Amino acid sequence: MAYTTFNRNEFDTFAQPMFFGEQVNVARYDQQKHKIFENLIEKQLSFFWRPEEVDLTNDRKDFADLPEHEKHIFVSNLKYQTLLDSVQGRSPNIALLPVVSLPELETWIETWSFSETIHSRSYTHIVRNIVPNPAQIFDDITRNEHITRRAISVTEYYDSFIYLSNYYIQLGEGTHQVNGETIEVTLHELKRRMYLMMVSVNVLEAIRFYVSFACSFAFAERAKMEGNAKIIKLIARDEALHLTGTQHILQIMAKGKDDPAFAIIAEECRDDVVRIFAEAAQQEKEWAEYLFKDGSMIGLNKDILCQYVEYITNQRIAALGFDPVFPPRNNPLPWINAWLNSDNVQVAPQEAEISSYLVGAIDSEVDTADLGDFDL
Amino acid sequence: MSAALKNQTETPDNDFELTGDDHPDSTFELEALQPEAEQPAPLQAELFLPESNPEQPEASPQIEFDGMQKPLFNVLLDDGREAHFQHAATLLESLEAQDVAVHYQCREGYCGSCRVQLQEGDVYYAEEPMAWLNEGDILPCCCIPKSDIKIKL
Repeated sequence: MAYTTFNRNEFDTFAQPMFFGEQVNVARYDQQKHKIFENLIEKQLSFFWRPEEVDLTNDRKDFADLPEHEKHIFVSNLKYQTLLDSVQGRSPNIALLPVVSLPELETWIETWSFSETIHSRSYTHIVRNIVPNPAQIFDDITRNEHITRRAISVTEYYDSFIYLSNYYIQLGEGTHQVNGETIEVTLHELKRRMYLMMVSVNVLEAIRFYVSFACSFAFAERAKMEGNAKIIKLIARDEALHLTGTQHILQIMAKGKDDPAFAIIAEECRDDVVRIFAEAAQQEKEWAEYLFKDGSMIGLNKDILCQYVEYITNQRIAALGFDPVFPPRNNPLPWINAWLNSDNVQVAPQEAEISSYLVGAIDSEVDTADLGDFDL
Repeated sequence: MSAALKNQTETPDNDFELTGDDHPDSTFELEALQPEAEQPAPLQAELFLPESNPEQPEASPQIEFDGMQKPLFNVLLDDGREAHFQHAATLLESLEAQDVAVHYQCREGYCGSCRVQLQEGDVYYAEEPMAWLNEGDILPCCCIPKSDIKIKL
């Protein structure tokens, strides 16, 4: 069972489940069990962007002019997003790669994690541009109790799965004595922890991020911190794709399409899924309270943000085939749709970078009408 | 030189002017040389959805043949509202043009935000969407109706 970086067994790819089958060997994509993962990879690669492409000099001025309570809102969200992407930049790799069995899924996980590292780098880009001492902001992420409290719920399912899967990789199934401790490893328990972990990742990408997104776009609606909003748009575009990836993994598991054991586990865990969604929604509401503790901002306050959390929670859990957790309501922030859509911001090109521009591309089209003003 | 400047003030729309026959040494006079009266333009950051109404297209230069009109399908919502679909590129655009608000994000089928339930009828996707779709769900951002349909938002 020990992990090997190149499995020498010959096996039928199409007979392998997503996880806990044969370990992968040749990274080949000519035989794909789930073609969706290659589509996701291609889409993610086409989204490639670099934070340095977005100019933030206006944001520095905007930030200096913000009242204190709005600075608190802005910086707190930035810290929280930094935490989320720090987790997401490494955890899918560490948790999933050792037990993955399909090359296309393995590559999707790597592509997915990689794009999260771009997000992390973009937070440093933002912080460097708006404050003289970035360390003040980053150091507080591990000290601020409001953030660390949420860090626990973001990471506990990852950690609990990785803990058990490490023993599984080394020792296989069974009851083991390690350093005088009795460790019981069963595939059923591993798969249960993996399923709950994927649900918790889904919650992270589908709900937790959107609270911060809403605040960033609320600033930009007032023409404040617009460079930041442009970066957040690019991040939101990536996260929407990651969310689709996670929903596919969860639904392939739940339908038992390639591993019937997961269908049984998904059925057993239905209450846990609802609980994880409800808990996350509750934590995000508490976060909203912390954000607006010193005052609201124009266009957004605690109540509206809490309504948005309920709305988005209902949307996301319905996508997994569950009943809504909260009473149905309309989107309390309808303007956010336009911001979340990445391709529809028109900016005077001399004022800012346009995210849809290809690097180095120029418009070389010349019409005879362009020369109509010439007077010889 | 002064004649050139004078000439320029008479035609303020020209970006620049070449002076020809009258002046043996032809020179450019940039309009920018003139003092500008206008104040600096405000930062232009503008969000936009389709400019024209997707369900009421402008006259097309293409020849219309009798009997070749785009079919008109009824789009019924489960809350009783009624809409139709004829000209728009996607069901989402059509609904927006008729003031039916649908949640959306990517508008190209990979995020799944606009997911609605299809209760009756059939839709067509020009390209298979990437988002996960449960049985009976459709993505209005990248499909068009093939028949009269009934949907639940």
